[in-house]
Parts: sequence; structure tokens; C-alpha cells
Amino acid sequence: MALTRLRLQDFRNLDRQDLQVPPEGFALIGDNAQGKSNLLEAVYYLETFRSFRGAADRELVAFGETVFRVQADLGREGGEGEVRSVSAAYDRSSRRKKVMVDSREVSRIGDGLGRLGAVIFSPEDVALISEGPGGRRRFLDILLSLNDPGYLEHLQRFRHALQARNALLKQGPGGGDLVAWDELLTRHGAEVLSRRMRWAIQYAPLFRGHYGAVSGGEEAWMEYRCTAGPNPSAPRAEDGNAPSPSAPPVQELTRRFREALDAAWERDRQRGWTTVGPHRDDLYMGMGEPGETTSLRSFGSGGQRRTAALALRLVEGECLRRSRDRRPMILMDDVFAELDEGRSQRLLELLEGPGLGQALITAPKDSEIRLRRDTLPRWRIRYGRVES
Amino acid sequence: MSAIEDVVRELSRLPGIGPKTATRLTHSLMRGPKEECLRLARALTSLAERIRPCAQCGNFGEEELCSICRDPDRDAALLCVVEGAFEVASIEGTGQFPGRFHVLGGRLSPLDGVGPDELNVASLLARIRDSNDAVREVILATSPSVEGEATAVYLEGVIRPLGPKVTRLARGIPMGSDLEYVDGSTLVEALAGRREM
Repeated sequence: MALTRLRLQDFRNLDRQDLQVPPEGFALIGDNAQGKSNLLEAVYYLETFRSFRGAADRELVAFGETVFRVQADLGREGGEGEVRSVSAAYDRSSRRKKVMVDSREVSRIGDGLGRLGAVIFSPEDVALISEGPGGRRRFLDILLSLNDPGYLEHLQRFRHALQARNALLKQGPGGGDLVAWDELLTRHGAEVLSRRMRWAIQYAPLFRGHYGAVSGGEEAWMEYRCTAGPNPSAPRAEDGNAPSPSAPPVQELTRRFREALDAAWERDRQRGWTTVGPHRDDLYMGMGEPGETTSLRSFGSGGQRRTAALALRLVEGECLRRSRDRRPMILMDDVFAELDEGRSQRLLELLEGPGLGQALITAPKDSEIRLRRDTLPRWRIRYGRVES
Repeated sequence: MSAIEDVVRELSRLPGIGPKTATRLTHSLMRGPKEECLRLARALTSLAERIRPCAQCGNFGEEELCSICRDPDRDAALLCVVEGAFEVASIEGTGQFPGRFHVLGGRLSPLDGVGPDELNVASLLARIRDSNDAVREVILATSPSVEGEATAVYLEGVIRPLGPKVTRLARGIPMGSDLEYVDGSTLVEALAGRREM
């Protein structure tokens, strides 16, 4: 999809504006704290209907206002029946969020997800690698909710059952009906596990490839690590002759999850919450030669972590491209500033390829616009106002 | 507190009715003939005074046993378990179910403090046991929500040892809808629950 028109109203420091967006995108230049990231945040809000920076909706409303609104008109990149417009509005006083697709309000926000087909690259992505497994699970959950039909519903049902089970565990002994919740927990949990594992296995080689390309030949790998059930090993053999690993069937995962729950029962009961399951897993990132297990999170340098975060976003873009069969829109928030020259150059080569669509990028100075340097129109931003 | 405010407040306690709708309803009652208002009041009074839960199934009725439990033509071999009396009315509305009902009075929800003891489960099990195998099939018609599913799983576990066949309402494509508009997860359920023609 390509953005053709963007209308904003009171989103952070961006007041009311109406912008015509060229098909190739734009490079937004402005000093710090003028609203560059806010603009990308507003655009990406239309993909997931929440802030990619983790801000609460009420924090997105401009100071002194009660409602923000973001609306995008989308142009076709081919394909019939594609969406023409997406909009979102949030009212701080009633705490109501309204999401409209093609001028019609969606009954569930989940029905409006992923209409832009965008990937966002931001300096804050490094937290994906350097912080705990929670952020990586959230990454997987968002990605799969957008690209794997049915994932979101299983995830929501799994969480619901988990809450109920934890409530019973807290009530202490006498909760004999734990069995009923275990059934629901394992049924939906195994679906979540299976889809996360399949994804990790499918995209592990691509992650390794992108990491190697950007870093200039270093090795890094990712694999899904389960607290309940088997851990398929990531494909690490160089020769390509190793049998490619595959995720176990859902029935098998259900059985293993149930066994893990049974084994953890005593501990769960003591702690008052469920200690094994997809809500405790990790998309583990390691580096080094095959066979070595050096955690990127613990031992990676700043540059290595940033490279891994970029590789993960590139993988996300490819996943989007495959599942939608069209080029993803790229949002880049001042990404090159953080990289050394070699990495910047190699990342650029990857990004200039034909696989990516419209690009909306930001930088503090014109000289730092590197992606599509000769073709992207320059826009300026000052005090939250864009001059195109 | 004026009479008008009284009525508005009472009406807005009802599900699906906010203060605005309650005010509109109240004004409509005031504008209409006085007799209409009194007829509603009498109907509500008799609802409160005469309706009570059936001693056997928990459905609403006017006597010790509800009209369905008293009906000798109902098939005692088929027992349909529902969350509330509203579902009894829905299923009765189809005119296609010959058996009897059992109303749970809710569904399992640990977050709200609802466990098996808070539902009419003991009376359901006693009813099946006391029927001396007359109940041959128990249909679990709880809702397809997570709590409804957990309730069904729990009931299946406690009913099956007593002998009857335990079945669950089918899930899938709604009547009159087009495949094109059915969401993915419903389609998956429908595929899993397909049957031979």
C-alpha cells in the first residue's frame, strides 16, 4: 500500500494538517523535538492502533485537547478490493477509540489491523534485543496477529484462560476445576506455540542472512525457546545438508504443554500463577559460530544489538511482503545515525533493493538522508508543522 | 427524588439501557394514555410476584415445576444444559428440540469468583443420577466464549462417568451467510466440524 494523503489532528505536537504524500514517500528533516518521530508514530498507529513506542492512547492526545485523529488515504499498488482509507480517533474524556476502514467503523479493532502493510525501524528497536523476552514475545504477537489469520483470536483466548487459571491458583487449594482451564489453556496455547515456532523456523535463515549482510560477515541466529515442550533447534549447519527442523504438530504441542503444566503444578500452586507456557517463552537471539551459544542480549555490543534489531525488522518486512503479496511501506526513524559507516552502507544496499515500497524516513540533517537520496522529496518539520 | 427520576433510574439499571434511552422511554410512557402505564406496572408486579425458578431445571415458571418439566411429552432422554433461562427461550423458539433443559445460572469464571459451587451443577448431576439412565444424552449448549468452553469441558468431565453421551453444540458458518464474509477462525471451526453428506 502507498499513502496518498495523511490527515492529522492533535496527535502529540502535530496539530491539524492535511498532507499529500508522493508515491515514493518523503524524507522528513527537522531538529530534535520538532515532531519527526511523532509523524511516523501517527502513521504506524493506523497499522496496529497503538503507539509503537508503547505510549498509552491518552498520552497521544495533544496537550490541552481531548481528541486526536489520524486518517490515511491509500493508493493501490495493484490488486482489487484493497482498502482505500483507514482512520483512527481517540477521545480522552470517554476513553473511546474509533477505528474506521473505508469510512465504516469496524466492530472489533482486530478487524482493522494491518491495513497499511508497514514496517517501522526506530532507534528504540534495540530494546527488542537488549531487554527481556517480553518485548520479543510482543514483537511476535504483533507480527503474527497481522500476518497469520486466527493467531490473534487464539492468543486472546489463551490469555483469557491464563487469567482464569491464575485466579484459581491464587484462591489456593480446593480449585478442583483447574482441569477445565488447563484444557482451554493448552488448546489455545498450543496454537500460539505452533504458529510462533513455525514462524521462527521459517525465518531463521533469513535473519541469519540479513545479520550477516549488515554486519559484514558476522554470525547471529534466532530460535524459539519454549518453557513448555520441545525446543526445535535452529538451522545452524552451514552445509545445508542438515534435516530442516519443523514445528511439532499441534496435538503434540498440546500434549507436551499439558505435561509441562502437570509437572509445574506444585510450583504454580505455591506461587499462585502459571509458570510455564507461551507467556514465558523467548525468541532467543544468539551470536557466534554455529554451536556456540552466546546470547546477543547479554554479550552483544551496542552495534551488534542494533544490527540484530535491524535484521529482525527486515525479516518482518519480508514476512509482510510474503503474506500480503505486495511491497511493504517502510518507516525509518533516524536509523542511520546509530550505525558505523560500514554497517550503514551495507544496510543501504539491502534497503535499496526492489522488495520495499514507499519510504517515509526522518533525519535531523539533509546530509543524513541516505536511503533513496536522489529521489525522495524533502519535507521540513518545525514545531509540529510539516512543510512539504 | 421525583417520580420521573425514579422511573429513569430504575429503567437505566436494565441491560442495554443507558440514561438517555431510559429518559426517552419514561417520556414516552408519560405522553401515552394513563391506562398503558398502569398496564405495564401490573404486568411487572405479576412478573415479580408469580415467576420463580423451576425446582427441577432452574428455568423460570409460575409453579413448582416449569411448563417444560411438567410436559409428559418431552423426551426425558435428551437433556440440554444452558447458561441462562434466556437460552431456553431461544431454543424453545426454534420448536425443534424435543428434550428437556437444565439452567446453570451462569458459567465458570474464576475472576468473578464463580466456580462449580456457584452454579446449578450439583442439581444437574443429581438429576442425571436419579433418572436411572433415562437421560441418555446431555447436550452442552454453553456459549462459545472462553468461559463457556471451560464450563463445557468441566461438565463433560463430571457427567461422562455417570453414563450418558455428552455432546456439544456445533460451531461454524451461520445460516444465510456467504463463505466470503466468514472470518478465518470460524471457517477453521467449520472445517474441523464438517460432516459427511
